[in-house]
Amino acid sequence: MCWVVAHANINRYKADLRETRFVLFEQFRAGELLGKPPFENWGVDEVNMVLDEVYRYATEVSGPLNGISDEGCRIVDGTVTTPPGFKEAWKKLYESGFKSLSIEPEFGGQGALATVTAMVTEMTSGSCTAFDMYPGLTIGAAELIASFGGPGQAERYCPKMHDGTWSGTMCITEPHAGSDVGDSKTTAKQNDDGTYSIKGTKIFISGGDHDLTENIVHMVLARIEGAPIGTKGLSLFIVPKRRIDEEGNSGDSNDVTTLGIEHKMGINGSATAQLSFGENDGCIGELCGTEPHRGMRQMFQMMNFARIGVGIQGLAIASAAYLSAVEYAKERKQGASVTNWKDPAAPRVPIIQHPNVRRMLLDMKARVEGIRALIVKGAWHRDHAVAIGDSDEKLRQYHEGQLELMTPLIKAYSSDQAFSICETAIQVHGGVGYTADFPVEQYCRDSKIFSIYEGTNGIQALDLVGRKLGQAGGANMQAFLGDVQKFIDETKDHADLGPAVAKLAAAHAAVASTAMTFLTWFQEGKMDRVPLAANRFLDMMSEFTVGWLLLDGAKISIEKQKSVDKKDADWAFYEGKKHAACFFASHVLPNVPSSASVIADANSSALEIPEAAFTTV
Amino acid sequence: MKILVPLKRVADPDNANKVKPTADKVDTSGLEWKINPFDEYALESALRLTEDGKAPKKRLGEVIVVTVGPKETETTLRSALATGADRAIRVDAEDDALDGRMVAKALQSIVEAEKPDIVLMGKQAVDGDTNQVGQILAERLDYPMATFAATIQEEDGGVLVSREVDGGVCWLRLKNPCVVTVDLRIVAPESVYSLKTDKSFKHNDGVRFAALPAIMKAKKKPLDVKTLGDVAAGTELTAKYSKFEPPPQRAAGVKVADVAELVQKLATEAKVI
Repeated sequence: MCWVVAHANINRYKADLRETRFVLFEQFRAGELLGKPPFENWGVDEVNMVLDEVYRYATEVSGPLNGISDEGCRIVDGTVTTPPGFKEAWKKLYESGFKSLSIEPEFGGQGALATVTAMVTEMTSGSCTAFDMYPGLTIGAAELIASFGGPGQAERYCPKMHDGTWSGTMCITEPHAGSDVGDSKTTAKQNDDGTYSIKGTKIFISGGDHDLTENIVHMVLARIEGAPIGTKGLSLFIVPKRRIDEEGNSGDSNDVTTLGIEHKMGINGSATAQLSFGENDGCIGELCGTEPHRGMRQMFQMMNFARIGVGIQGLAIASAAYLSAVEYAKERKQGASVTNWKDPAAPRVPIIQHPNVRRMLLDMKARVEGIRALIVKGAWHRDHAVAIGDSDEKLRQYHEGQLELMTPLIKAYSSDQAFSICETAIQVHGGVGYTADFPVEQYCRDSKIFSIYEGTNGIQALDLVGRKLGQAGGANMQAFLGDVQKFIDETKDHADLGPAVAKLAAAHAAVASTAMTFLTWFQEGKMDRVPLAANRFLDMMSEFTVGWLLLDGAKISIEKQKSVDKKDADWAFYEGKKHAACFFASHVLPNVPSSASVIADANSSALEIPEAAFTTV
Repeated sequence: MKILVPLKRVADPDNANKVKPTADKVDTSGLEWKINPFDEYALESALRLTEDGKAPKKRLGEVIVVTVGPKETETTLRSALATGADRAIRVDAEDDALDGRMVAKALQSIVEAEKPDIVLMGKQAVDGDTNQVGQILAERLDYPMATFAATIQEEDGGVLVSREVDGGVCWLRLKNPCVVTVDLRIVAPESVYSLKTDKSFKHNDGVRFAALPAIMKAKKKPLDVKTLGDVAAGTELTAKYSKFEPPPQRAAGVKVADVAELVQKLATEAKVI
């Protein structure tokens, strides 16, 4: 068996580091936190060097793998092999130490700002989504052990997971327990030595088996015998693929069997495994930490970071798709300019000169830069919460609350937009975009999973409406609306942005009134209305937030542009920020009041239609 | 083994469209800078010569990077320190106060003070393309010199250098101390071997990544600053830039009716035949 080599190992990934530096340093002013605890080791030079080196890694190591990764993993006799080049890339990645960026210094990491980590992850993920999932999940698993592990567990597992000797996974989903994790059937039976015998089947395990590391540390949700049903009875276990001896050497099989790997629409280089634990009653796990029945709560902390991670995956691939589309539109000549369309001898022009193509490109630009600003805003709140620490509890809670509120927006809006942006990128390419000769069709397929895993976007919408809107007695939502109102008040008379800000103000009123509508429904017990409207509300709140952040970026850009020579590349850069924000305000923000009226209308056809009425076949 | 690597920062060629010539100067405002690629190769070679090719790598010597330029060039030195150099020296000078001979004189003073075994540098910088500093430096120091090195093998008390020349490879055996300037082939996997590196070892192709922990430690590595007066007192500039101009815009082409018209135009308009 061999791979069909349809893809040469060439890099097609690009990132716009000018935009990255704008977001980090100009819009979200990382400089205010650099050099001060807990980021005292970080300065502007360090951040820039990291961005430059990671971009080199993304274009020289990871990017060239993306095409070949699409050919997928293979499984022979229960052993999974990753696509050619993955092993070498894994080695280079861990030699470079880039994956230790966000890890705590006590485990050899650099404790970087979340904003910087987000922008670095955009490049590692965007250059090859499938490959980056293995190290990404490994960090997630190791952080679970670092956060909740009992005595000695972090010391035993984390160093080898952080240096690339071992990898890690999250084992949550089972055949009968997808979105409803509480139905999990995997069991854990305590042994005399305090360890547990694990038995059960887990599916859809990303990185569940592969050939990159000598061992794989699975974090497995299972129910201890006699524990309550539902999520409250689940505990989290550390279950290595191979048994680990006292010295930390990987030894015999721990009775974890790979039953198969999925054949998927995208991210084919990421092995999605079905795993059987304890088929021969020989699978031993340790409880993560010392208290049983806390698995769901522990996993949830993880999930919150993972959801932001999925948002970054969406941004990463959307940005790559957008930059591919711009490159193609500048090169591809077709048709004459619309201004002399009647002249058959008129010179052929690059398609970027056609108004409809320009519209699509600017639409993508606005959305890509919008979700980037949304993600970095969330990370900014986290950095400030960490920097404030115990010095000002109220202010810290404000920042933490804003991140909580934005997490479902980051996960769901970014992932939905990613798929849609990739689709537009294909449209810009025309017929060739539908072929494997260009990277955008793969981007589109790879991106679809983002709206599904780590909690479907339907779950995210319920999280936003059911938990986050009323969190802290509604104070987080109030503070959020207050932040945007402050911007509106300060900017409504802006010479260039005034009309756009008026649209933001209309959106503000729409979001505030719709939030009240939900509260009324909750009070009146009209619970079945909520899921019908939740996704639409998540979209409108995301569009509102993105509109705000784009206009904030445009305001900064207009100010900076005043001191830049018109011939400089920076002048055009700032001009682009302004146009993207104004485009979004004109073309997207009006959706927000429109969505508010749809929700207020409370059409309940979807509830009333009998199941037999959906179709006659 | 102690190796001195002179570095020059150059305007990133990707930003060439930002270069604006005005009279006798190139306006450098708004430019992005990077290490001259050939100097990067020299640094990579120096690191390979001071390692054993094992994992984890053991350092066997010292690599000192030096540049001549204004304060901002310290960013270039820091990124070299992040890549693995041990310490750095900056000679403070404005770009306008420099020519190849002045830089060679400054380097000469530093070499005489530091006494490295090898001065390893790029064959030329990709901005001015003068290709002279290494040669002038070797001459001033009266050191043996090899230019355009494609491979370097450390030997007892010297180096064996191969240079790709028309029709073959020229091998030079140099005694330390010496000056070696490198060509781009030097970063191939089997091009550089220290005495302690097994000949079967293959380096990663190209220039290594600055590893994250090293980036974070770069700020703590020593960086000395000297003035041009300290190291090149009494030296006068011998090259003066009189004018810069952008390449001429390419004019639109014309369609010719037949071969006769083509020949006629080549003769009378293009004046090439």
